Amino acid sequence: MNSDTPALQLRSLRKAFGRPAVDGIDLTVRRGELYALLGPNGAGKTTTLRMVTGLLAPDAGQIEVLGIDLAANPAAAKQKMAYLPDDPMLYGKLKPTEYLEFVAGLWGITPEDAEPRARRLLDWLDLSKHAHELTEGFSRGMKQKLALAGALIHEPQLLILDEPLTGLDAAAARQVKDLLVSHVNQGGTVILTTHILEVAERLAQRIGIIRQGRLIAEGTLAELRERTLGGSLEDVFLQLTEQA
Amino acid sequence: MSAPPGSSRWLLRHELRMAWYGAAVNAGGKRRMSWVSIAVWVLAWTLLHVGAFAVLHKLGPDGVVDPRMAILATLALVAIGTFMLSSSLKASVLALFERGDLDLLLSSPLPSRSIFTVRLLGVVLACAALYLFLLGPLVHVGVALGQFRWIGVYVAVATTSTLMACLGMLLTLALVRLLGARRTRVLAQVLSAVAGALLFLLSQSFSLVSETAGGGAAQRTLQRLAESPWLSPGSPLWLPGRAALGDPLPMLGMAVLGFAAFMLTVGRTHRFFVHGLQEAASTARAIAKPQGALQMRFRRSLFDAVVVKEWRLIARDPHLISQVLLQLVYLVPLLFLILRKNDSPGPAIGAGLALLCSSLTSSLAWIIVSAEDAPDLLQSSPAAARTIGLAKLAAVVMPPLMLVALPLLWLMARAPLAAVLIGFVVVGAILSAALIVKWLGRPGLRSDFKMRGKENFLCSVFEIVNTFCWGGLGWLLVSLAAEQGVAAGSTALFAAGVLAAALLALLLAWLLRRRA
Repeated sequence: MNSDTPALQLRSLRKAFGRPAVDGIDLTVRRGELYALLGPNGAGKTTTLRMVTGLLAPDAGQIEVLGIDLAANPAAAKQKMAYLPDDPMLYGKLKPTEYLEFVAGLWGITPEDAEPRARRLLDWLDLSKHAHELTEGFSRGMKQKLALAGALIHEPQLLILDEPLTGLDAAAARQVKDLLVSHVNQGGTVILTTHILEVAERLAQRIGIIRQGRLIAEGTLAELRERTLGGSLEDVFLQLTEQA
Repeated sequence: MSAPPGSSRWLLRHELRMAWYGAAVNAGGKRRMSWVSIAVWVLAWTLLHVGAFAVLHKLGPDGVVDPRMAILATLALVAIGTFMLSSSLKASVLALFERGDLDLLLSSPLPSRSIFTVRLLGVVLACAALYLFLLGPLVHVGVALGQFRWIGVYVAVATTSTLMACLGMLLTLALVRLLGARRTRVLAQVLSAVAGALLFLLSQSFSLVSETAGGGAAQRTLQRLAESPWLSPGSPLWLPGRAALGDPLPMLGMAVLGFAAFMLTVGRTHRFFVHGLQEAASTARAIAKPQGALQMRFRRSLFDAVVVKEWRLIARDPHLISQVLLQLVYLVPLLFLILRKNDSPGPAIGAGLALLCSSLTSSLAWIIVSAEDAPDLLQSSPAAARTIGLAKLAAVVMPPLMLVALPLLWLMARAPLAAVLIGFVVVGAILSAALIVKWLGRPGLRSDFKMRGKENFLCSVFEIVNTFCWGGLGWLLVSLAAEQGVAAGSTALFAAGVLAAALLALLLAWLLRRRA
């Protein structure tokens, strides 16, 4: 695989549920960047991410994950990415270690690789002391952190997160943000959606803004400011989404 | 007349509206109670009135006059009371933990006493509703015919439901204090399921024993009770029954008892109620005891990981287990009848094991295949859907196969041919049941286990056809092994027909399968 190969490439991606939810999106996310996908409620962010992760079949268009065509070779594409939706995909009656054992099994990680990673992730996310508890009793933040540990256990090259900071307290949000930055620093790619514009402003190298299923603007924060009257990302976001 | 906002009446109206939504809307948020179903309920109630008229118009103005009826009425009230206690435990758990509106109510300026009063009244109504529906027509028709003593039925039902509601609520609150909120919730759910099952078995065994001992058994027992000095119809033990039959003083006594119990429960325990809620909130997360070093058992195979995960999820859900077992309990009288009506137990064992295994497999298949907690996790992983599907099927079929292995081994030592035939039938029943649910099952939530039949009628029909086909085949094949001559020929033909029906059902299920 060429190092110039983008982490994610979408071409004319479309999906309609009666009305168009995603309406011909073209998007390229480079390897090793943290890309924030912003947009008002119902803009098509989650639908886009669900298509990228293979949870939803597009009506038209092409998705390439690290150069692998998702439609042609879904298993190989999924092997390289992880998805963390806003509602964590957990089992209430499993303990954190058991959950990680299961996720490692799904991604075919050998026990020799999985165990040290699981220990490191549980320690890092401060979950080791809760390792003997069932996840059904966890707080929202703990659940989100455990789901993140599950997403990272196979060391994905592309990490896709839908509203990862919703409902987290300051400490948990900080841990998650540090983890994402660390993932990018180690060469991984992160795509996230968020309503907390400050997070995108601080963390993202590039920002895409979706409205009514279309990518209406994309670039670094400076580039987006140039296109508008400037100001904070919130000002830019509101100007762009109201103009369109 | 509208109640002033914040008053107990206003709160009661809110409670009734929530109860209506609870009855009319399913867990998925879809409306379940259509005008057609309301019409069916009204029609059923009208028919009950007609039935009551058919019985009561022959009686004189005093209604039932045999004093021994007080014994029967009391025993009936005890049985109803046990059912009500199980309902009140369930309703109390719902009121405390599941409705999720108590934080809002308790954070409002409404007095906690009013909130508890109304919530307890809600539990009383939940306990009484079914019996008022079933027995109300007797009262209405009786009063219309001038048999005013039937009013006692209302008093008895209202008092019994009030007493059981108070007992259920107190028991739930005490359990919260002793065990914590989470365990109480599970225990109450399991207890109510077990109570229902026990009563069902008791009622069935009573009817079976009566049938065995002849029609006069109940009459003789009643006579014997009536002759005993302590248990004669005049004994204070039967006062509840006399109240139900409309004796004014016992009726008044019962009404006072119910009212006093309600007021006492409200007066003495509304603070305990608030405390129970705080317990529920503060112990939402059970802290596990430290268990030393972190133990991990990563598996080399995806297949093993899926099977272990499925079994863990079920093993840690006692409520779900009790619901699955409860379904099997309802088969016990049928099995008993099959065993009793046949001199040779072989065919009955064949049919019984096939029925049990098919039913158990259908339940497990729904839980494991249809009620997957994190389908997106599986779908977003690179794991082959086929491997996951096979592992889930293995997780489904292994428990019933293990369950049936021991009886089959025992049978193998005694009657090898019958054991082989039963083994064939049981394996066929288990595999078919699992495949039918895999093909026709719709995704659902584990908490909706009891609703699964109503939510997916087609799948339920196929499950029933499968269960009875394989059950019938079990009977026929084992009978066939013992028969000779013409009888054997016709049994073989019949068995072939039943096997063809079972396979046809499977083929149809495959043709109608849901495609992802």
